[in-house]
Amino acid sequence: MIAVFLTRAARHRALLAALFLLVLPFLLPFRATAVNVLIDGLFAVGFNLVYGYVGLLSFGHAALFGGGAYATGLALLRLGLPWYGALALGLVAGAGIAGVIGLLATRTRGIYFAMVTLALAECVYYLAYQASGVTGGENGLRGIVLTKIDLFGLDLDFVDPLTRYFVIATIVALALAALSRILASPFGAVMEMVRENEARARASGVDVRAVRVLAFVLSGAFSGLAGGLQALHLAIVPIETLDYGNSGMVVMMCLLGGAGTFFGPFIGALVFLLLQNLVALVSSHWQLPVGVVFMACVLFLPRGIWGQLARWRPA
Amino acid sequence: MSAEHGRRMGRRGVLRTAAILAAGAPFATLRAEETPIRIGFPVPITGPYASEAADQVRAAEIAVAEFNQSGGLGGRRAELLVRDDKLDPGEAATRAIELIEKDRVDFIVGSLSASVQLAVNTVTKQRGVLYNSISQSDQIVSSPDWGPTTFHEAMTPHMTAGAVGRYAFEKLGKRVAYVAADYAYGHEMVAGFRAVGATMGAEELAEIKMPIGTRDFSTLMPRLQALRPDIVFLCNFGRDQQIFVKQAHDSGLKRTAHIVAPILLQTARIAGGAQAFAGVLGGTSYYWGIESEVASARAFNDRFRKAHDGRLPSDYGALGYSGVRAVLTAAAKAGSTETAKVAAVLAGMKYDFYKGPQFYRACDHQSVQSVFIIESKANGSVPEDVFNVLATVPGREDMLKTCAQEGLG
Repeated sequence: MIAVFLTRAARHRALLAALFLLVLPFLLPFRATAVNVLIDGLFAVGFNLVYGYVGLLSFGHAALFGGGAYATGLALLRLGLPWYGALALGLVAGAGIAGVIGLLATRTRGIYFAMVTLALAECVYYLAYQASGVTGGENGLRGIVLTKIDLFGLDLDFVDPLTRYFVIATIVALALAALSRILASPFGAVMEMVRENEARARASGVDVRAVRVLAFVLSGAFSGLAGGLQALHLAIVPIETLDYGNSGMVVMMCLLGGAGTFFGPFIGALVFLLLQNLVALVSSHWQLPVGVVFMACVLFLPRGIWGQLARWRPA
Repeated sequence: MSAEHGRRMGRRGVLRTAAILAAGAPFATLRAEETPIRIGFPVPITGPYASEAADQVRAAEIAVAEFNQSGGLGGRRAELLVRDDKLDPGEAATRAIELIEKDRVDFIVGSLSASVQLAVNTVTKQRGVLYNSISQSDQIVSSPDWGPTTFHEAMTPHMTAGAVGRYAFEKLGKRVAYVAADYAYGHEMVAGFRAVGATMGAEELAEIKMPIGTRDFSTLMPRLQALRPDIVFLCNFGRDQQIFVKQAHDSGLKRTAHIVAPILLQTARIAGGAQAFAGVLGGTSYYWGIESEVASARAFNDRFRKAHDGRLPSDYGALGYSGVRAVLTAAAKAGSTETAKVAAVLAGMKYDFYKGPQFYRACDHQSVQSVFIIESKANGSVPEDVFNVLATVPGREDMLKTCAQEGLG
């Protein structure tokens, strides 16, 4: 019943996502956390494109996210670009770094793919760490202060929590609509074909490596955009955004919500951040209950929260 | 006195209270005239500096309790909203934004790393909220990070290395070798020592940079011994420092050279053990043992002991106390919690809360304060009895970079 309903609803997934984003800030205790859900949700959705749909486990997505964040931050700080230009540069930077990493890493497969992406992402980390004159090094990039933004003649106060949320939510909703379009396209079908049966895809005339690289680049674009949004939101780019811990976090969010589903990674990001932040408010030992919930998810919801829900049928 | 300290509150208690208050925030408008003065306190409750952060919370609670017992600000009580920044700048920025937007804090005090405090500072500067940082950094009092709402209660690496360097070059010798962790902290400290050394005729034998997280320094020992330095400046932190000191002890380097760390932490020394650290020199912003000479230290230690089962405050912990107390004192003096009024009182404010006279320099809001030169003891009477105070370098403005050098001229 639920599955049937969800299948029907999935036709309008981009619209549903937009509606969900509209009410999200009123459901959460903190607007700043709601914005983080948007950003990490978009990041997880971007990651899901390669992991969930093409079946490539990347452990280097922090480089794409962080690369976008640094590009946006530097564009605002040093190049003096308008905010939308800086954001676009973040997206391009994410895609560009993904192009390089993708071209190199897709020469390998399986666990080696994960290792190569991790290694290359670490290279990006050290590059930013050492180039402290440009990136701020260990102290991170600071001072990306954006108090007002103009949107089609509208002068918006970017410090106001709700305004900030809805500006970012609009961009995220547009990104999700674009993603939905990609997944519904023939290319979306080819990605899943590569995941399900590589030999058959090859026999059908699909250039498997090109599909993988392209998916990686698209994933990089979404991740870079998410990174750029974070730079605008927090007004800083910590070096930690490039850290492998960030790469691990996005894998976790994706698995928690449900890899290979449209809404899953977003739900994963929501649950992940809420658990962390709410439990940390009541106990300094927040890692313990959060860890228990994660284990329970692995044991009882192997397809992730959304993945399991979408497949649920009453006995 | 006993009634004053009857209510004992643990860190978890504070967190729990904070959560309950946050849940009840919508009702706060009903009794607006009694709105408490809210102080956001983001510190790394989880992660490698958790023990220091716990001590900062304990100390900050004492400052809040004192303020409330003395009647608050015309009856307005203060409360501390502790948040876990997880030692991550992004987390810290998010917590700071939440504290400002949701909890409507009047001030933010806290943080325990250079990058984290700069992140919090960016957020507070953007929103015009007063921030008093309690962790070392040179950048926070320099352009472009500094802002009119930025205050810095902790010492800067420049003044720490300056004070320790002057003492070491004068008393221990001129032939020096540097062992530095290869990141900002190590580089800044070496630069600080070099600047002092240049004026005092020091001879630099070597600078050895080691990656952060080095687990074995034993290969360095013969090289250092062959150089025959008078002083080895050890510019690293935490576990790296512990391992180096232990191996320097085992290899006999400690018999031929003095080991001097710019910042010697009480917690690190307790964790590292008395034998390995014996004779290691360093600087600190506070050591409880100064209570025999400084009245305010005695008073603070006594309150801390009473509130926390006879424990003694650590160096970084004590900063939590003075950081919060400074802001509350200024608010009481200003008769207001308005940022501009409180900042105006704080800039130039003279105070003696726990370590002798201090004041905030007007042009960069850096707290000018004494630096203590300490030596690790071979054995002590209580776990916290770990150092001898060799010298007190009284706080003077010429220990700091000038505001023109900081780009604030």
